[in-house]
Amino acid sequence: MDMQSLYLTVPLAPLAGALVAGLFGRSIGRTGAHLVTILGVLVSFLASILIFQDVLAGNTFNGALYTWITSGDVSLEIGFLIDRLTTVMMLVVTFVSLCVHVYTIGYMSDDDGYQRFFSYISLFTFSMLMLVMSNNFLQLFFGWEAVGLVSYLLIGFWYTRESAIYANLKAFLVNRVGDFGFLLGIGLVLAYFGSLDYAQVFQKAPTLAHESISILDGHAWSLLTVICILLFIGAMGKSAQFPLHVWLPDSMEGPTPISALIHAATMVTAGIFMVARMSPLFELSDTALSFVMIIGAITALFMGFLGMIQNDIKRVVAYSTLSQLGYMTVALGASAYSVAIFHLMTHAFFKALLFLAAGSVIIGMHHDQDIRNMGGLRKYMPITWITLLIGSLALIGTPGLSGFFSKDSIILATYASDLYGSGFAAFAVTAGVFVTAFYSFRMYFLVFHGKERFHNAHAGHDQEGGKDDDQHGHHGGGHGTPHESPWVVWLPLVLLAIPSVYAGWAYIEPMLFGDYFGGAIFVNHEAHKAMSDLAHHFHGAGAMTLHALMTLPFWLAVAGVATAYYLYMVRRDLPEKIRRQAGVLYTILDQKYGFDRFNDWFFAGGARWLGGRLWRWGDVTAIDGVMVNGSARVVGQFARLARGLQSGYIYHYAFAMIIGVALLVTVFVG
Amino acid sequence: MTYPLPDLLPALPEILVLTLACVILVIEAFFKDAKAAYVLTLLTLLGAAGVTAFTGGEMSVHTFNGMFVDDAMGDVLKLMTYLAAITAVVYSRGYLAERGIFKGEYFALVLFAVLGMMVMISASHLLTLYLGLELLSLSLYAMVALHRESQAAVEAAMKYFVLGALASGLLLYGMSMLYGLTGTLDLAQISAALREGVSSPVVLAFGLVFVVAGLGFKLGNAPFHMWVPDVYHGAPTAVTLFIGTAPKLAAFAFAMRLLVDGLEPAHGDWQQMLAVMAVLSMAIGNLAAIMQTNIKRMLAYSTISHMGFLLLGILAGTFAGYSAAMFYAIAYVLMSLGGFGMVVYLSRAGYEAENLDDYKGLNSRSPWLAAVMGILMFSMAGIPPFVGFYAKLTILQSLVGAGLVWLAVLAVLFSLIGAFYYLRVIKLMYFDAPHSTGAVAAEAGDARMLLSLNGLAVLLLGLAPQPLMALCANAMQLSLQ
Amino acid sequence: MNFADVVFFLFAAILLLAGLRVITARNPVHAALWLVLAFFTAAGLWMLLEAEFLAITLVLVYVGAVMVLFIFVVMMLDINLEELRQGFWDFLPLAALVAGLMIVEMVMVLGKETFGLVAPLAKPENYSNTKELGRLLYTDYVYPFELASVILLVAIVAAIALTLRRRPGLKAVDPAWQVKQSREGRVRLVNLKPQKPEYKSEEEDE
Repeated sequence: MDMQSLYLTVPLAPLAGALVAGLFGRSIGRTGAHLVTILGVLVSFLASILIFQDVLAGNTFNGALYTWITSGDVSLEIGFLIDRLTTVMMLVVTFVSLCVHVYTIGYMSDDDGYQRFFSYISLFTFSMLMLVMSNNFLQLFFGWEAVGLVSYLLIGFWYTRESAIYANLKAFLVNRVGDFGFLLGIGLVLAYFGSLDYAQVFQKAPTLAHESISILDGHAWSLLTVICILLFIGAMGKSAQFPLHVWLPDSMEGPTPISALIHAATMVTAGIFMVARMSPLFELSDTALSFVMIIGAITALFMGFLGMIQNDIKRVVAYSTLSQLGYMTVALGASAYSVAIFHLMTHAFFKALLFLAAGSVIIGMHHDQDIRNMGGLRKYMPITWITLLIGSLALIGTPGLSGFFSKDSIILATYASDLYGSGFAAFAVTAGVFVTAFYSFRMYFLVFHGKERFHNAHAGHDQEGGKDDDQHGHHGGGHGTPHESPWVVWLPLVLLAIPSVYAGWAYIEPMLFGDYFGGAIFVNHEAHKAMSDLAHHFHGAGAMTLHALMTLPFWLAVAGVATAYYLYMVRRDLPEKIRRQAGVLYTILDQKYGFDRFNDWFFAGGARWLGGRLWRWGDVTAIDGVMVNGSARVVGQFARLARGLQSGYIYHYAFAMIIGVALLVTVFVG
Repeated sequence: MTYPLPDLLPALPEILVLTLACVILVIEAFFKDAKAAYVLTLLTLLGAAGVTAFTGGEMSVHTFNGMFVDDAMGDVLKLMTYLAAITAVVYSRGYLAERGIFKGEYFALVLFAVLGMMVMISASHLLTLYLGLELLSLSLYAMVALHRESQAAVEAAMKYFVLGALASGLLLYGMSMLYGLTGTLDLAQISAALREGVSSPVVLAFGLVFVVAGLGFKLGNAPFHMWVPDVYHGAPTAVTLFIGTAPKLAAFAFAMRLLVDGLEPAHGDWQQMLAVMAVLSMAIGNLAAIMQTNIKRMLAYSTISHMGFLLLGILAGTFAGYSAAMFYAIAYVLMSLGGFGMVVYLSRAGYEAENLDDYKGLNSRSPWLAAVMGILMFSMAGIPPFVGFYAKLTILQSLVGAGLVWLAVLAVLFSLIGAFYYLRVIKLMYFDAPHSTGAVAAEAGDARMLLSLNGLAVLLLGLAPQPLMALCANAMQLSLQ
Repeated sequence: MNFADVVFFLFAAILLLAGLRVITARNPVHAALWLVLAFFTAAGLWMLLEAEFLAITLVLVYVGAVMVLFIFVVMMLDINLEELRQGFWDFLPLAALVAGLMIVEMVMVLGKETFGLVAPLAKPENYSNTKELGRLLYTDYVYPFELASVILLVAIVAAIALTLRRRPGLKAVDPAWQVKQSREGRVRLVNLKPQKPEYKSEEEDE
C-alpha cells in the first residue's frame, strides 16, 4: 500500500465505521455496532503508527488528494499535510478515541441510543482527523464545523433532559461567536493571500508583514495582527478560552466518554493545534501573541479557582480542563508552540484518564456525581483509585510524570518571554500550580479517602437526582456498596495511565529541544527567545526532574496537596468555616464570576428586550407585514395563479402554448 | 444506376435495438413470457451499450447520406441513455408486476422509445431529428396509456398526445421556414447557408420561434410546460420515471443538434428566446412546486425548473456553457432517476407513495432509504457536496463567463426558493411522525441495491465531479470542433 | 395572372373555407365530409406543383381509406359534439384575438419577405415524379424511410396494446365449445327422496 492510500485510510476507516453503525445500526445490533466502529478506529490508529514511523524517517507529504472544484485561480481541494505536528495529533486522537470507544461499551451498556452513540463518536474521530490532517483553510474549517456539529449532537445526546438541551444550545451559540471570527479570518486570508493553501499562505506571509488595513477610519491595524486575532477568536470558542469558556462546564451534561474524548482530549485542543499550525503567521505579530498569552493566563488561573469549590466530580475535572487549556494558550503566546503541543499531548492522556476514571466512579456510585457523597472508595474500586491517583499526580506536575515536564516547560517559557503581558502570565501559571494541586487532591481525598459517606447520602442524593449523569437509573434500587467497574471500563484507564506516566520523560527531549517539529512549527528565535532560552537551560529529563525539586512550582504543588489534605482529611470542619468567613469570595466563585448570570441577564435578557422591541415594530410591522407576509403573499398568489392556470383542460394548455408562441413572435420578430 | 450501400457500422446500436425490440414483440405474441421480455430488454440495452462503446471513436462519422452522425457527444449521451433506461426498467419491475402492466408490449415500447432517443441523439438532419422525436413521443404516449384501468393515466395520455401533436405542428412549421430560407434540411448545410447570410432575417427569427417552441415543449419549458405536471401525475409512476429521465438527455441532444449544429449563426436570436423561457421555467417551476402536496407533481415542477437551468447553459453559447449543460443534463437524469425511483420503490400494490405526507417519518421506518432520499433532495436543491451543486455551479460559471450576470443572479435566486420544497421533504422524513409505523417492505433487492448505488453516485459525483466534467468537455470538444 | 394562378387561388380559397367548416360544422359527419373536400383541394394544389404522386396518394390514402373509416366510426359512436363544444363561444373572443394577432404577424412577416429561392427548372418530358421519389426514398432517404416504418410499427403496437382486451371475467361463450357439448356433460340426474320441509328451523335461521 502506498503512503497516500494509507493517509486516506486514517480518516476513512472511522467514517466507514460511523456510517455502518449509523445507517445499519438496527440490523447489525449492539455488538455489531461497537465491533465495527472499534475496528475502524483501531485500523486508523495502526495506520497512524505506520505513518508516524514513515514521517520519522523523514517523509513528509503535502498535497491535494483530489481537487474538488477549480475555479479560476482558486481551487478548492481536499488535501493532506502530513508532517510531524500532524502525526502527533493523529496518534493522540486515534489512541484516545480507541480507548474511549472501548470504555463506551461498558459505560453506555444500558442506553437505548447505543448504536447511535458509537456512530457519533466514530464520526467525530473522522472529523477531527480531517481537521488535523488538512493542508488548507477550507478543509480546516470543514473539520472545525464538523467536530462542532458532532459535539452538539453529543452534548444533547440525552435530548429528553432539559438541562442537556440548554447546554447544547449554549455550546452552539458560544461557538457561533468564535466561528464568526474564524470565518472572518479565513476570509481575510483568502482576500489578501489569494489562496487557502497553508504552504502558499505561509510563504507569502513575510511579504505582508507590514501591510495594514484600516478597520475604522484612520485606525490602521497590521493586517497580520487582525488576521491572527480573528483566527484566535475561533480558537477561543473551540478551546473554551475566557470569555468564551462558558459552554464547556455545561457540556458535561453529555455522557462521560464524550467529556473525555471531545471536551478534554481532542476537540477543545483544536484551537491550540490551529494556532500552532499557524505559527508562521502568529510569529509575525507580537500584538497577537500578547493577546493570546493574556487570554490564556486569565483562563489558566481563574478557571482553576472555580474548580476549587465544585462538588460535581465531572465539573471539577471540567474546570481543570479549562485551566489546562489556558496553560497551553499561554505557551502559544510565549512562542513555545512545541511546548503547547507537548502539553496538549500529555494533557490528552491524563485528562482523558481523569474523565474516564471519574466516569468509572460514577458507574461505581450508581450515577451519583456529588463528591460529598463519596469517600473511602479506595477499597471498593482499586484500579480506578490507582489510575485516578496517577492522573492527578500527572496533572499537578509531580516531577517525573508526564504533566510535570510539559507544565514546567510552559512555566519556564513564560519566564523567558519578554512580550507585553508575560509578567502577568508568569504569575498566573505559577499560582495556578497551587490551585491545580488543591482542587485535584480535594477531589481525590473526598472520593477515595475518609469516611464512607455513600451509605447515608440517600436524602441528599435524591434531591440532586436531576444531576444524574445518566437516565439508565439505579440498578437494584437504593445505594448499594460501590463496586469496581467491568474490564471494558478499567482497561482504557490502564492503557491511558501508561503514557500519563512515561510520555513526558520519554518525549520531552525530542519534542521540545530536538529538532522533532522541524519545519512544522516556525519560531522566530531572534524576536521570541523563549524556546532558545529553554533549550539553553535544559540538560536532560533527569536533570530537569532533580532540579525541579528546588523550584517554586514544585513546592507550590506540595503546598496545594498539603492544604487539601489538611482541610479535607484533618480539619474537615474548616472548609465550612472558611466558606462562611469568605462569604463574598465564595459567592463570586460559586456564581462562576457571574458569567452565567451576566450572560443570562445581558444576552438572554437583552436579546429578549431587543427582540421584543424589534418584534413590535420591526417584525410585526415591517418584516412580518411587508416582507415575510408580503413575499409569502406574492409567492402564494403566484403559486395559486399557476395552479389556476393548471386547470386540467387540454384547450387551456394548448391555448397557453399558442399564446406563448404569439408572444415570442411579437417580441422577437420584427 | 447503382447506389452504394451506406456504412451501417456507426448505426449498429440502433439496428441492434430495433431488431431485438421486434424479437420481443414476437416473444410477446407467441409465448406471452413477460419475464423473458424483461431480461431481453436489459440484455439489449447492455448489448447496445457495448456496441456503442466499441464503435465509438474520437472522429465524427457521418453516414446515410449525411443524415446520421456518430460522434463523441452522441456516444456519451447514448451510453447515459442506456444507463437511465436500464435503471428505470429495473426500478419499475415490481411496480409494473403489481399493477398488471408487466407485459412484453411495455418493454418493446421502452426499446422503441430508446431507439427514438438514439435517433435524435445521432441526427444531423432535420428530418431524422423530427422522426426520432415522433418515434420517442409515440412510444411514450402509448406507455402512459398502457395502464388502462387508471382513468388518470388515460386522461394524461390524451393530454400528452394532443399537446404533443400541437408541438410537433409548431416544430414542423418552423422547420419548413428554415427549409424555405436555406433550401436544405441538412443541419451542417443550414449552418453554412446561415453563415453566408439569408435573404430575410425576419423570417429566420419567425421560423426560430416555432422551432424553439417545439423544443421547449419537449424539454418542458414554460410556457410550453403545462403538460408536464398533469402527465407526470397521471401516468403510472414507473412510466413517469421513464419519461422524466432518459428523454431529457435526448431533448438536450435535440437542442444541441438543432441550435448549435444547425443554427449556431443565429445564436443572437435564439439566445434571447431561450433566456425568456429559462427565466419563466425557473420562476414557474420553483414557485408552483411549493404549493404541491403530491410528490410526483412536485418533482414535475422541479423538472421544469431544472430544464430552465439547463437552457441557461445552452444559451450561454460558449463551449463551457455547452459542456456545463451536458453535465447538468446527466446529473439531473441521475437525480431524477433516484427521486422517481424512490417513489416507485415505495409504492406498493393498491398504495401509491405519491403524497408528500406518505414520506413522514420515513427515517424511522427505513433509515437507509431516508438517507438515500435525503441525498437526492439535497442534490436537487443544489447543496454541496452533492452533484447537483456542482452542476449548478458550472452553469453559473459559464453564464458569468458569457457576461450574462443578471441571468446568473436570477438563477441563484430561484434556486434558493427551490431549496425550500426539497428541504421540506427532508423535514418530513426526519422530523415528522410517520402515519404508519412498521418497516418498509424490503422486497426487490435488486431495485433497492440499484437505488442505493444511485444515491451514492449522486454523492460521489458531487465529491469528484472532475472526471465526468472532463468527459463532457472532451466529448463536446470533439463533436463541435 | 395566368391560368395556373387562377386555379391556385380557387383551390386555396376552397381549402381555407373547407378547413374552417371542419371546425365549425355542428354535425360531425358534415365536418368529416368537409375534411374530405379539404383533402381534395390540397391534392389539387399539389398537382399544380407537379407533385402528381403525392396528390394521388393523398386522395387514395386519406380520402379513400382514412376518411371513410373515420366517418364509419363517427356514425357508429354517435358523439355528441355539443358537449365537446361547451365553452366554445366563451373562449371565442380571446381565441379570435390571439388568432388575429398571429395572422397579422404572419402576414407581416411572410407577406412582404421573400425566401430568396428560385423556382425549379422545368423537368423534361419523360420525367417521372413517382420514379424519382421512389429512387430517393430507397437511396438517399432510406434512413428516414425506415424510421417512418418503425413509427408505423409503434403505432400498430400501441393501438393493439391499448385496445385489445383480454378481460378474464368476460361472459361471452366460445361457439365452438358450445357446439361440442353433449347432454351427458351438462345434465346430471339425481334421485331425491321426498322430504317434509322444516319451516320452523328455516325461520329461525333467518
